[in-house]
Amino acid sequence: MTASQPIAEPIGAVPGGEVDLGGVNLSVDLAPARPGALSLRNPVLVASGTFGYGLEYGEVIDVQRLGAICCKGTTLKARAGNPPPRVTETPAGMLNSIGLQNPGVEAVLERYAELWAGWNVPVIVNVAGESIEDYVGVVRRLDGVPGISGVELNISCPNVGAGGLQFAVDPEAAAAVTAAVRRATELPLMVKLSPNVADVRGIAVAIADAGADCLSAVNTLSGMAIDQRRRRAFLGATYGGLSGPALKPVALRVVYEVAQAVKIPIVAVGGVGSLSDVLDFLMAGAVAVQVGTAIFADPGLPLRLVDELRAYCVEHDLTSHRELVGSALPQRRERPSVKGVEYRP
Amino acid sequence: MRLLEGELLESREILPRQWLQRYRAPWLAGGVRAGQFVHVRTPDYSGLVLRRPFSVNTVDRKQGEISIHFRIEGKGTEWMARLRPADRLEMMGPLGRPFEVDPRSRHLLLIAGGLGMAGVRALADEALASGRQVAILFGARSAAEVYPSSLLPDEVEYVVATDDGSLGHVGRVTDLLPAFEAWADQAFACGPEPMLAALATLAGGRDARLGVARLGRKGRSRPAGLGTPQARRRSWLQVSMEQNMGCAVGACLGCVVIGVKGPQRVCREGPVFAADEIDWEASA
Repeated sequence: MTASQPIAEPIGAVPGGEVDLGGVNLSVDLAPARPGALSLRNPVLVASGTFGYGLEYGEVIDVQRLGAICCKGTTLKARAGNPPPRVTETPAGMLNSIGLQNPGVEAVLERYAELWAGWNVPVIVNVAGESIEDYVGVVRRLDGVPGISGVELNISCPNVGAGGLQFAVDPEAAAAVTAAVRRATELPLMVKLSPNVADVRGIAVAIADAGADCLSAVNTLSGMAIDQRRRRAFLGATYGGLSGPALKPVALRVVYEVAQAVKIPIVAVGGVGSLSDVLDFLMAGAVAVQVGTAIFADPGLPLRLVDELRAYCVEHDLTSHRELVGSALPQRRERPSVKGVEYRP
Repeated sequence: MRLLEGELLESREILPRQWLQRYRAPWLAGGVRAGQFVHVRTPDYSGLVLRRPFSVNTVDRKQGEISIHFRIEGKGTEWMARLRPADRLEMMGPLGRPFEVDPRSRHLLLIAGGLGMAGVRALADEALASGRQVAILFGARSAAEVYPSSLLPDEVEYVVATDDGSLGHVGRVTDLLPAFEAWADQAFACGPEPMLAALATLAGGRDARLGVARLGRKGRSRPAGLGTPQARRRSWLQVSMEQNMGCAVGACLGCVVIGVKGPQRVCREGPVFAADEIDWEASA
């Protein structure tokens, strides 16, 4: 390759679409209760907030080959977001405090829904709100719109009506918002767990019982950075969410715990940067992964992971990556305590 | 915009901890304009997760070469400074919006504070190539940090200010502006935000000081939309803004600065803005 020749453009563009080497089936159904409603061709999604609305990376990768796109967090009304600076690199990770900047659900649908409807890749709209009514309002607006394949609830938002406590840290609040959204739509519903809790299992069970089709785990871990020259918090909003490789062991632990507590599919998110990370998450009990921060350094990574996972399956005589799911979980008799949680095998 | 590789041709430390590196990158050199940037990948994703944005410092279209100028600020730039000729660097670019020169402008004033030279340097070459006259006002803390005049084209008028007076004017680079504001048809600045804010204030009062009347064009003239090339072209002062950056393609909304109409992405709406598109009080 000569210098400056594009490495690939677009990366992973395969004439004729999906190539199925060795008969490996990488498809995955993220809403088994609604068969076919959220069936992905492959288990590599892109995480909300790192991929905009799916168009931004269109010049450098073939977004249509992704398993699914989780779009930028969307709220009922437009939000201007947090004051800058909003991002900073940390050891093996980064902090972000975007503050849910988005044009609001109406503008999102107006700008992108028609485009999404023409795509082969499912678009899952990430939804955020400050009250149950907010979430329901957004989801009602999404319901039945061509081009919307599912909803991912970001419940790591302060519940303004409940003193600002995040929905995600309280089983009752998490269940309440999930149930309300469930009543408002037949769209496949993914709920994103927060790692900023003492025991995530009870919350996961409450969300599953409230009608979520699947879970994504995890959202960013709360953190901060200091601007030493100015002797104050570096980020404009003081706190930010940690993502990247530094988050991966935490996400892996959450997936491992939640996989033993619920029966619905789990989509792992947090520090996926290599095939090895994907395999870790699958073995810990996830059926699919979302790639987030790693896209910034390597936009071609998600599609390369699809190819590498397929090659791994061929090499290990697997007909599907699903044969790996949960294979690292303890045998039943060794299951860790789920004290405080109703446990149904 | 593409993902591409550049081959390092030459690397040298032009000032303490500041490096100038020349890369062979024909596709990039063929299309990049002054003010645009590249997003450079660091080698070790497990440790350094973000790319680093760098303004394209000079462009040689014939040779298919570009250069970047950076200061060692952390592990990523330390690694870059250790690269040797023939090493390859992954880049994404060209990114962002360029400086816009009005076709009628004959005299261009470039104003740089410290490493801000990297942001405006390419415009000097572009302007000279199109027959314009260029003056560069440069500010630094001391003579030891002054960008070497040997790296600038001979045709440029180069005026230096240092905080400690060890070279040129004693004081701020912004002190030099009044002497040039009547001469300059347009001005282009890159540097620390307080410097840009001071320049924006000075630029705002320029018309009144010089008695310039804004006549507009004949017939109906529509105001240029915010963020459009026209808005930048009609602005006397354009600024190249800096902000910590994530994706560089407009997806993550990490690199915003506060504009008069809300948050503006440095990677997409910028890095070059008309000075009056920025809300300087909110940004400070």
